[in-house]
Order: sequence, then structure tokens, then C-alpha cells
Amino acid sequence: MRFSSILALFFISGVVIQPAFAQSVSSTEETQSSDTVTQPSPSEILGEEPNKQSLQNNEADNGREERQADEQSEAVRRTDVSQSASQWLAELQNIITNANFQVSFVQTVAGKETIPYLWRHGIMEDGSELEQLNLQNGPGRELIRVNDVVSVFEPDVQPYSLRSKHINGPIPSALLYHPEQLSDAYEFVAVGRARVAGRSAQQIRIVSRDNTRFGYQLWLDESSGMLLKLNMLDLQGGLLEQIQVTAFAISPSPAEYFSRINSASLPPPMALSNTPMRPHSWDVTYLPAGMREIKQDTRRLALTGQVVEYKLFSDGLVDVSVYVQPADDALGETLALRNEVSTFLTLTDGKAQVTVVGEIPLQTANAIANSLRPVTN
Amino acid sequence: MTQQQEKLSAFMDGEIEGNEIIDAIKHDEALQAKWKRYHVYRGAMRKEASVAPQLDITASVAAALENEPAILAPKRSRWASIPLIGNVVPFAKQSGQFAVAASVAVAVIFGVQYSNQDAPTEPFMTAPTIAPQGGLAPVSLEQTRALPRNDMNEVLEKKRKINALIADHEQQIKLKQAQEGENESNASGPQRP
Repeated sequence: MRFSSILALFFISGVVIQPAFAQSVSSTEETQSSDTVTQPSPSEILGEEPNKQSLQNNEADNGREERQADEQSEAVRRTDVSQSASQWLAELQNIITNANFQVSFVQTVAGKETIPYLWRHGIMEDGSELEQLNLQNGPGRELIRVNDVVSVFEPDVQPYSLRSKHINGPIPSALLYHPEQLSDAYEFVAVGRARVAGRSAQQIRIVSRDNTRFGYQLWLDESSGMLLKLNMLDLQGGLLEQIQVTAFAISPSPAEYFSRINSASLPPPMALSNTPMRPHSWDVTYLPAGMREIKQDTRRLALTGQVVEYKLFSDGLVDVSVYVQPADDALGETLALRNEVSTFLTLTDGKAQVTVVGEIPLQTANAIANSLRPVTN
Repeated sequence: MTQQQEKLSAFMDGEIEGNEIIDAIKHDEALQAKWKRYHVYRGAMRKEASVAPQLDITASVAAALENEPAILAPKRSRWASIPLIGNVVPFAKQSGQFAVAASVAVAVIFGVQYSNQDAPTEPFMTAPTIAPQGGLAPVSLEQTRALPRNDMNEVLEKKRKINALIADHEQQIKLKQAQEGENESNASGPQRP
């Protein structure tokens, strides 16, 4: 809440300041250009609307032409900017896959404690790729990736390895490695320059195309393309979650830490059973744009042993689970719970219980839950 | 002595098995007095005040015990029958095991009044009925509506079911990437370097 009010304040002040600033620039320019030959004013180059005074001074026809020219230049500027948004993301992808770097960042979820992380990546001499993500508080949690095997070290759990090309950390891996896969679901808009973590940054807004999911704001380092800050915003623009880089270093050689990792001593990757399942007799008929089914199965919940039919959906940035159970075995009531980020919605018609869990607005969860239909073969 | 006090306190909270401490209490008057006082404190803190401080039950029980040590066994079951301990202990153990999930639910559970009367009712596969779907009920463990004591088990059971789903969702997200990696490597086969 505190974050969002600060953010709102920033937006308000930004809105107030910007037009005032633009006007003062163009009016001073006007006084100069009135006695000299007309030349393109900075306001035209910037694509600003010509102010009223210049329209009054010029003939009506000229003014109209000028306005058209301005609109064109503004359109050109917009396309330039949207190209550069994907260019910036390509730079991010490039540095994260190819550079030796060490990044310290913190993750803050509204109403919870800030969690610090250390994130390192290195390309070894033999060409193998190593990555480490370490939770820095408490007993910690360490993830080490050697090429396409991720080993997980957690307190109270036997170390295990999974076959995965990315560490599943607080930063969505699709955003880091496959931004192009997100273009069905989200629009990327370059906003402009800002200052983050003491560095010049480029700000990019990420908005879901159908406005059914939370939005993001992303800041990338201007000189290297490294991620500096990532905000997750609700539909009203309130801050839900924040990742803020506090320090980062890019070095020519990989961190000394990586040379101490003996990949032979890491646990071997678990084999996941991919047994084909009998398809469910239901399906969702509504999904937000760009969201697709990842998997489906029927299994028992680990904590209660209840049998559920399950489908997992994802758009790359958020994951949504849909559960269907017999109502007498489940909660048996209709209920919506929400913390700042996650939504838990469960609906029942008395016989079946449908539950939707994920980082989506309640309205979207409700639309998905209500779109379940029996599949007719 | 302080060790005995700690044990007594832990025993009262149901954290340790009591054979040893029961013997100690039996033979130590100071511990007996503490046992009594702790219960009075606890009663007062919970505003139950069911144990009147001037009522010296333990002394008379101890006197009776001196002649009949066999009474110890029923005493233990008396401890288990104290309703709050009986209910709290299993839940405390459970929440220790699934601390993450429990904390999620605690964060999650403040009720959202979400009425959606005009949402279309959908026939699910098992139930093609057209039962009217009411608005979503507000639920809160902060007791926005008064919960009678005997509903406690039911509430805990519901919380457990909610936790089970949330924990499963989180586990599925963890496994998702691994599965994708597996599928990709299966698809590209042994040509992969």
C-alpha cells in the first residue's frame, strides 16, 4: 500500500510537471522565433503539439499542415519506440545467456518481508553454462544449474535435481529467455529513460492485451541491458510485487565460486513420469489471450489425499491451476480468497467443485471457472 | 531446576511426553505449585478463569497420590482431555510440517465479499443441474462472524483443504519448467549435445 501511494504520487507529479515543462519550452522558443525566420522548433522535433499561440500567428492552412506533420512524426516515433522495446528485451536475453555476471536483488511482496537473493551466472572455459540462485536470509535455498540440469538444495528436503534449462526463480524465466513467446499475451511498450539503482535505465511497460492479467513495469540498464527492477501491478496500478536489483557486476571471467562446483557430486536428475492420461471430460472454454494448456492429469493431493482432476495453464508470466473435484469431498461451498498477488477461487454447484488458483485478478479467475464445459466426444 | 521448569512448560504445551515430568512433579512441591500457577496464568490469559487461584486441587491430589501411585495413568488421560490442548496439538504439529502452506493461507484468508449474482450457471460434467449459484461467501478466520467453539474442527478442516490446493498449485509451478525441459529434450532426442 505504501509503495502504491508513492507510485501514485510520482504519477500525479509527473503528469502535472510534464505539460508545464513542455509549455514553458515551446513558449520561450516562440518568443525567439517570432522575430527570426521560422525554423523547426524543439517542440516539433519532440513531436509535441504546437501551442495555441503559434496557431494564432500562422495562417489557418499552415497550422493544419503543421499539425498533420506533427501527427505523422508522432506516429513514426511510436513505431520506433515499440521496436526498441523488443530490442531492449533482446539485449537482456543476450546478457543473461552469454555474460559472466553477479546480481544482488531483493523481492518484496506487499505486506511481507523483503527477500534478498544472490544470482550468478558464468560460462566456463569448457563452454558449459553455470548459474546459481541463492536465497540469502534464514536457512536459505540454493539452486544450481549446470547446463540443463537444475539442482535444488533446501532445508529439510533431500537435495534433488530436475531437467530444466532455466532456474525457476522470482523473475519469470520466459521474460528473461523467451520474451518473444509473451507477445501473444502481452504488449511491450518502451516508456523512456529513468534512473534505477544509481544507473540510467530504460523503462518498459508490459500490459496484457485483453487487460485480464496484472501488468508489469520493467527497467533495464541502459549500457548493459541487465534487469534492474521489475514491478508487478494490479489493474488499478497498485504495486503487488517488486524485484529491485541492488548491485550487479559483469566480469570477463566466471565467478570463482563456479570452479568449486563439482557437477559429478550433484544429485542426478529425477525422471518425471510422463504417462499419458485419460483426457478429462471437461474443458475450459474461456482463457485469457495468449494463455495455453501446459498439462493435465488426475492425481491425489499431497496433503489430504483427495483425488483431483487437474489442468495447468500458463501465459509465460503467470500460471493458473484448475482443479475439479466431487463437491462432497471438497469444501462444498463457494469461496474467494485473495492475498496481494494470488487469487484462490472455488465454486460449486452442489455436485462438482471447481477451484482456480493463480496470480490473476479475481474477475479473470471467475471467468475461467465459469467457462468449464463438459466435453462431448 | 530451570530445566525442570522448561520441561514443565513444554509438557503443558503438549510438546513433550510427560512420564518423566509427571514423576518430577509428583515428588517436588515447588513444581506442583508451579504446575498450578501456570494453569491459573493460562486460564487468566485465555480469559477462561475456570481455575480459581484459591482452589488448591493439586495439593489434595498429591495427598491422595501418596497412597495410590496407580492413579497416575488416569491423570495422563485427564491432560489429554483438556479440550484446547487436544485440539491444538495435532494442528500445531501439522502446521510445523507445512509451515509454508500454512503461512500462505494465513495471508490469504481475509474474506473478499464478491457477489456475482448474474454470472451464468454452468452445468459441470457430473452435474447438469441449473442450481442457482449464490454470491461468494465471505470467510475469515479473524472471526468477522462469530464461530462457535465446536465449529473449530470444521474450520481447520476447510483450511487444510484450501492449503492442500494452494500447496499443490505451488508444487506444480515448481515442476512445470522441469516438465517442459523434459518434453523438449525428449522431442529433440539424442542429437542434443
